[in-house]
Amino acid sequence: MIGRPGSTIWLLGHEIRLSWRGLIGGRRGRVRLIVLGVIGVMFAVAGVPIALALRGFSMPVNPLSVLAADAACVVIFTLMVSQTLAGAADALYARGDLDLLFSSPLDPRKTLTVRFAALAGSAFTAFALLVSPLMIPLAIFGHWRWLALFPALGALSLAASGTGLALAVALFALIGPRRTRAVAQILAAIIGAAFFLTSQTRTLLGARSATLWTQVADAADNPNLRLPTLAAWPLRAVTGDPLPLAAMLIVGAAIFMGVTAWLSRRFAADAASAQGADTGRRRVARGVAGAFTGGVFASTLIKEFRLLARDIALLAQVLLRVLYLLPVTFLLLRNATGHQSFALPGGAAAITFMSGQVAASLTWITVSAEEAPELLQCAPAASATVRNAKLLAGLAPLALLLSIPLGVIIVAAPLTGLAATAGAAAAATAAGLINAWYPTPGKRSDFLRRRRSGSLLTGLALFFVSLLIAAATALAAVGLFWALIPAVLAGAALLALRRSPAKIAEALAAQS
Amino acid sequence: MYDALVVEGLTKVFAKPAVDHLNLTVRAGELYALLGPNGAGKTTTLRMVAGLLKPTSGSIKVFGVDALADPSAAKQMIAWAPDEPMLYDKLTPMEYLEFVSGLWGVDPKEGRARAEALLRLLGLWDQRDQRCEAFSRGMKQKAALAGALIHEPKMLILDEPLTGLDAAVSRQVKDLLQERVRGGATVILTTHILEVAERMADRIGIIQAGRLLAEGTLTELRERAGERDGTLEDVFLELTGEAEAAPT
Repeated sequence: MIGRPGSTIWLLGHEIRLSWRGLIGGRRGRVRLIVLGVIGVMFAVAGVPIALALRGFSMPVNPLSVLAADAACVVIFTLMVSQTLAGAADALYARGDLDLLFSSPLDPRKTLTVRFAALAGSAFTAFALLVSPLMIPLAIFGHWRWLALFPALGALSLAASGTGLALAVALFALIGPRRTRAVAQILAAIIGAAFFLTSQTRTLLGARSATLWTQVADAADNPNLRLPTLAAWPLRAVTGDPLPLAAMLIVGAAIFMGVTAWLSRRFAADAASAQGADTGRRRVARGVAGAFTGGVFASTLIKEFRLLARDIALLAQVLLRVLYLLPVTFLLLRNATGHQSFALPGGAAAITFMSGQVAASLTWITVSAEEAPELLQCAPAASATVRNAKLLAGLAPLALLLSIPLGVIIVAAPLTGLAATAGAAAAATAAGLINAWYPTPGKRSDFLRRRRSGSLLTGLALFFVSLLIAAATALAAVGLFWALIPAVLAGAALLALRRSPAKIAEALAAQS
Repeated sequence: MYDALVVEGLTKVFAKPAVDHLNLTVRAGELYALLGPNGAGKTTTLRMVAGLLKPTSGSIKVFGVDALADPSAAKQMIAWAPDEPMLYDKLTPMEYLEFVSGLWGVDPKEGRARAEALLRLLGLWDQRDQRCEAFSRGMKQKAALAGALIHEPKMLILDEPLTGLDAAVSRQVKDLLQERVRGGATVILTTHILEVAERMADRIGIIQAGRLLAEGTLTELRERAGERDGTLEDVFLELTGEAEAAPT
């Protein structure tokens, strides 16, 4: 590794090595790299024609381009802040090496500064990788000055990391270190969803409303618009104007270094308390203590509800997917009231498909992410009873969430609403059953990782069965009997996938 | 005294045999310590008895019930407590006991009374509404033990129950186990702390390479090993052939 052991460069190398191994490590590492490579090539293939088309193009500095560049900077900055916020909490919680580093003779401030720099680096890398396939051909075909986008992204990542870190410390102080991670993840999810929903304003509010970008364009058309000189600096910076670019870099670095220097000492103390918080803090449970029910089904159901309700971060991750159902629901409602019947079946199908996907997540949590599997195995309880309780616990929150929008759709467009309700119920149940038949045991904390590396068969089965049920829903929504064909195919697929409890037990034993 | 557990020809083969035609009998109401070097097959044996592993061959009878033919009936009488507590971090001890009671079909009223008694006995009553995630290792172990006892099992199987416990908690657990034995329960435990087996066990079984090497009271084992005044450690090392390997 480069640098003198214990030096800043050496520590940074350690962080980079860990990040790199996190990316390429494990069974899926090579596959991940190949997928990234293929996506990169595809982007590059698309980037070359765009670069050729823009060969003689000179970026105009007018209100539209200035506002577009400013808006893009705000969007990127906000996404980077949310990424850093979650990353800061992860770096202080999830990685188990802080005790080792803090117990070493290294200055904790140096350790933390390097870790924070790595956070800024990961925020930069994510966006740099995204724009590279376009920017590199652009540079090759004459716009080499536009490579200034990379240092500009670097400046944004530094400023965003500083801001994210300051927010993280504020959260530590306000709500305690324990909850910071959960809140950071929720905030990241909400920010991501907010951008998605903002981009869907036309879907949500109708054709007369405007998306973020059309609003920017409308504002730029206003003849009375007078923009301050500084507003044009981001655009000038990314197109290679040295002064604005240097200013951006200086401001970004100043924010990062100022915040880091100021916070390092405090963060070290907070991190130490965060590490100890898992055993030091006492949390009193809400609800009726000792609500003994006496039955396997009821006990399991109550237990799963409690565990779901107490894992805020996990719920936030699932909740984000449910938020994506909102535009579709609004689209359905708008078209139902506007009698644009052609859009109804598509919307009903989308709700059905997404219900299957969300149900798959929730039932994986209740069925596969069992913390004490041996307790259930050595209990004299029928595995089918336990499984059914777990499935119901996983599906109930989705039913609750969907009941209101589906109820409204039923009132507005009865046939579509009923088809969407039946489809959503069928897709969710099918997803739950597939999860129960093909369990992939894991920890709740591995929820996101599982989605990336889950069984291929289960993933494909979930996808195609949801798709078939969604197709049946779409056809049923317009009253076509052809709906029976995909419905029967989905049923046949489920029958083919079905596994007996003994087979499930065998598969689980083979996995352990 | 009748037999609580009869294991005959029990075999479990993974890549190679972990348990190899093991014959074992534990009498009702006794505390039986199963000892053996690392990898001897102790935990595998107990996991098969608890219904967590399917044997390759052999039979297991728990109080006369064929545990392989009727696992549910056998499980009803057994409690299994592994070295890593089977707990839910986000549940309180009271909620955990409520859940375990449900699994074993304990009458709700009875379950509540037993939960309170157990939590008071184990010194967890004041923490009954705190989530287990905040507990120390000892507290978690005690909560798990309460879970194992809530359905008043006739046979308690414990794998390294004292690992990682401080002296006070360790004493508490030992007292509780002896009290249960006095109350008629059968306790089978594995331990690497030979003093515990020496002081607590009515009978001791020593297994090696998946086979029962020796079995009996401490006196019987001493005689067999030719160590009339030796400690259990001396006897164990002599019988397992590790005496020469151990540093003097």
